[in-house]
Amino acid sequence: MSTSRPSTLRQHPRRGVSIWLWSAFSLCAFAGIAAFLIPTFIIRPFRYEAPGALLVAMALRQRAPFATLLTAVACFALALALWRTVGRWRKSVLVLVLLVVTFSAVMARLNYFEWMFHPIADPQFLAQSESKLDPKEMVLSIHLGDDARAYPISQMAYHHVLNDVVAGVPIAVTY
Amino acid sequence: MWTRTINGRVLHFYLAGINNQNFLMRDRETGTWWQQITGKAIYGPLQGAALELVLSEELSFGQWRSESPSGQVLAPIAKYTKEYDPNWEPDVAKLPVVISFPGTELKSRDVVIGLTINGAARAYPWETFAKQSPILDRVNGASLLLVLGPDGKSFRVFLSRIDGKDAEFFLQADTQQWTLLDTLTASQWNFQGCATTGPAQGKCLTRIPALKDYWFDWRNYHPDTTVYKH
Repeated sequence: MSTSRPSTLRQHPRRGVSIWLWSAFSLCAFAGIAAFLIPTFIIRPFRYEAPGALLVAMALRQRAPFATLLTAVACFALALALWRTVGRWRKSVLVLVLLVVTFSAVMARLNYFEWMFHPIADPQFLAQSESKLDPKEMVLSIHLGDDARAYPISQMAYHHVLNDVVAGVPIAVTY
Repeated sequence: MWTRTINGRVLHFYLAGINNQNFLMRDRETGTWWQQITGKAIYGPLQGAALELVLSEELSFGQWRSESPSGQVLAPIAKYTKEYDPNWEPDVAKLPVVISFPGTELKSRDVVIGLTINGAARAYPWETFAKQSPILDRVNGASLLLVLGPDGKSFRVFLSRIDGKDAEFFLQADTQQWTLLDTLTASQWNFQGCATTGPAQGKCLTRIPALKDYWFDWRNYHPDTTVYKH
């Protein structure tokens, strides 16, 4: 009597389930990573964004915080189910993919544009006589009611957007 | 510049992306995506809404401070001072352009003054404008006056009308101080568009919002724009 046949018979149902688990894991990982990477790729400076592509990017980014969390949870659950059935090499693959999926889920909730161009949390103003700005430097000026304000372009070109209130009117200064 | 109030609700905007050299912003309240250059909501719960434009001008600090002695300037933030580039203009001019419009008479990084009035858009090449200022132009029924300031850098656009009548303006040559004269009332006007002497004294011309922009950017968002030719 051969001892190998019963063991291969015992392995068959597990291998079938294993394929399903791996497929589900790959799909979830792919979805979770794509939800973050695709908009990141589309919305880049110095890259032409066709309106259709931009729409896809915004739609994905809007849903990414929830979607990446969902796929991350699913990936972890599937990885857990697969863990005991795989050897060391495949365990490393699982861990690597889980790291990327987690990275994606975290990044989907962060705004890296604000790492590149820090926002002004609490704008402070100087009287024009106190400012050390060179008279030749350009400013964006606004005058509402009695309130005259100037925003140096050298600063706005970095921060890009500032929420301010001038003469009681909430405005967005943009450059 | 835009107002932040839509339907009685005040929104707070943050930088959310770069879109063909302009930027995208989102509001914290609804997560809607807005385009910086048009003030329009292009995706999200408030899609289709449009922010109201607030008149703002690009002036040299020296010019602005002479006009607004009690004005306030945004203070620089100490930890970002190395990011602030006072020479940003020549530095940006070197950056790659992602769209171009071959066949149009201007080059992508040519600077223009762009304005829209009565639904029509027109671009005034900066070099032409600087040489010919003051420029009188008619765009879609509106009489316009474009002037370069005494500092050679600030600019303003006005409706060239005094009390509902079209007027022409020219620079007075024989004065120490930069002065405009109008042909209708022979009053003297300053760079703020207000009459300092003459029958129109105390009156001010209506200011028109205008944007100093690169040709490729202006043309991208105003595909039907005309270009001023002297």
